[in-house]
Amino acid sequence: MEPLGRPQATLVDLLDRVLDRGLVIDADIVITLAGVPLVGLNLRAALAGMETMVQYGLMREWDRTLRVEARTKAAAEGGSVGILGSGGHGAPPQSRVLSAVVTRQG
Amino acid sequence: MARHLLGALDVVQESRDGSGRAVRVGAAAEATGRYVYCLASPGEAVDLGEIGIEERRVYTILQGDLCAVVHGGPPQPYSTGGREMTIAWVVAHHRVVDAAWKRWGAVIPMAFNTIVAPGEKGAEENLREWLERERASLRGRFRALAGKAEYAVQLFLDVALLTREVAAASPETKKLEETIAGMPRGLAYMERRRLENLLKRETETRVEAHCTELYSTLSRCADGVRVEKTKQSGEGTAMLMNLSCLVSPEGYLRLAAELDRVGEAQGFAVRLVGPLPPYSFC
Repeated sequence: MEPLGRPQATLVDLLDRVLDRGLVIDADIVITLAGVPLVGLNLRAALAGMETMVQYGLMREWDRTLRVEARTKAAAEGGSVGILGSGGHGAPPQSRVLSAVVTRQG
Repeated sequence: MARHLLGALDVVQESRDGSGRAVRVGAAAEATGRYVYCLASPGEAVDLGEIGIEERRVYTILQGDLCAVVHGGPPQPYSTGGREMTIAWVVAHHRVVDAAWKRWGAVIPMAFNTIVAPGEKGAEENLREWLERERASLRGRFRALAGKAEYAVQLFLDVALLTREVAAASPETKKLEETIAGMPRGLAYMERRRLENLLKRETETRVEAHCTELYSTLSRCADGVRVEKTKQSGEGTAMLMNLSCLVSPEGYLRLAAELDRVGEAQGFAVRLVGPLPPYSFC
């Protein structure tokens, strides 16, 4: 497991946010099926068990895909960027995240 | 353009995107829905390319100083695709929201599967009318979010490390350890249990102090804090807290400095993820 020297979102960080958050249009202009709660359940069912699989190593394949995408994009844009953009906040300072726990110092 | 009036021509339009790929020929209902990824302000009328779910072309519908970032697709939600497909949908949805956020600075992410139906006037017209109706309320939301980003802040504990640290730091426990060494087995066993309980209580006190401190730090530095469910990470580490915060650029500098400090305590570590579009604060 690589130490996280700068903040990078993984798939698990995204899943809850994309599937469970965001503004809901509470008007009859949107598609609603009688089983809309079931739609959400279907999506969640497809992902069941994934979060307990995430030992920060097992989802390497997806994380690697995301990182490759980011690097390719960064190379094309001539800059460096974390997986999911900088949004104008600039490069964050180094913080000692997780490496202490993972490498079991002391 | 009144796309909804084109009927079967909708399908032909899609294939002239220049992608060169064959487009599924089907009922004219193929692309009558508008999947809305997010709203942006001030926004512009623009084509963002085929970055959407199922590589659909994403473009904006501009209504005054607001725009909706959409793709044209079937008027059905994405629901039964299996794990890999669901993940691909989520990744694509985020890719679009993030692209819009980087481009325009302020976005309101929409819930996944927000699809405007064609109805009688067509999806685009329906969406425009809704934007117009909601203009004032949306403006307020944009003001609250402008320039800010969401971060996830997670506090982790290595139980073994902290326990060792607590044991080393306490003169009483050291003394107790020494005395236990010289005791007969039965008594030693009971005293060892007592020692373990002491360590456990002290460890819990420290954990609680750290959690409280982290939460109050975030409250000071962020414009919004949300408590999330903790996740299992296994391997001797425990996630103690999982928080989402909405942070301005100035707030971020203070936050990062404070988190460095929190993460320095033996046995604790902080994971900071972001910046992300403000999914959890709209």
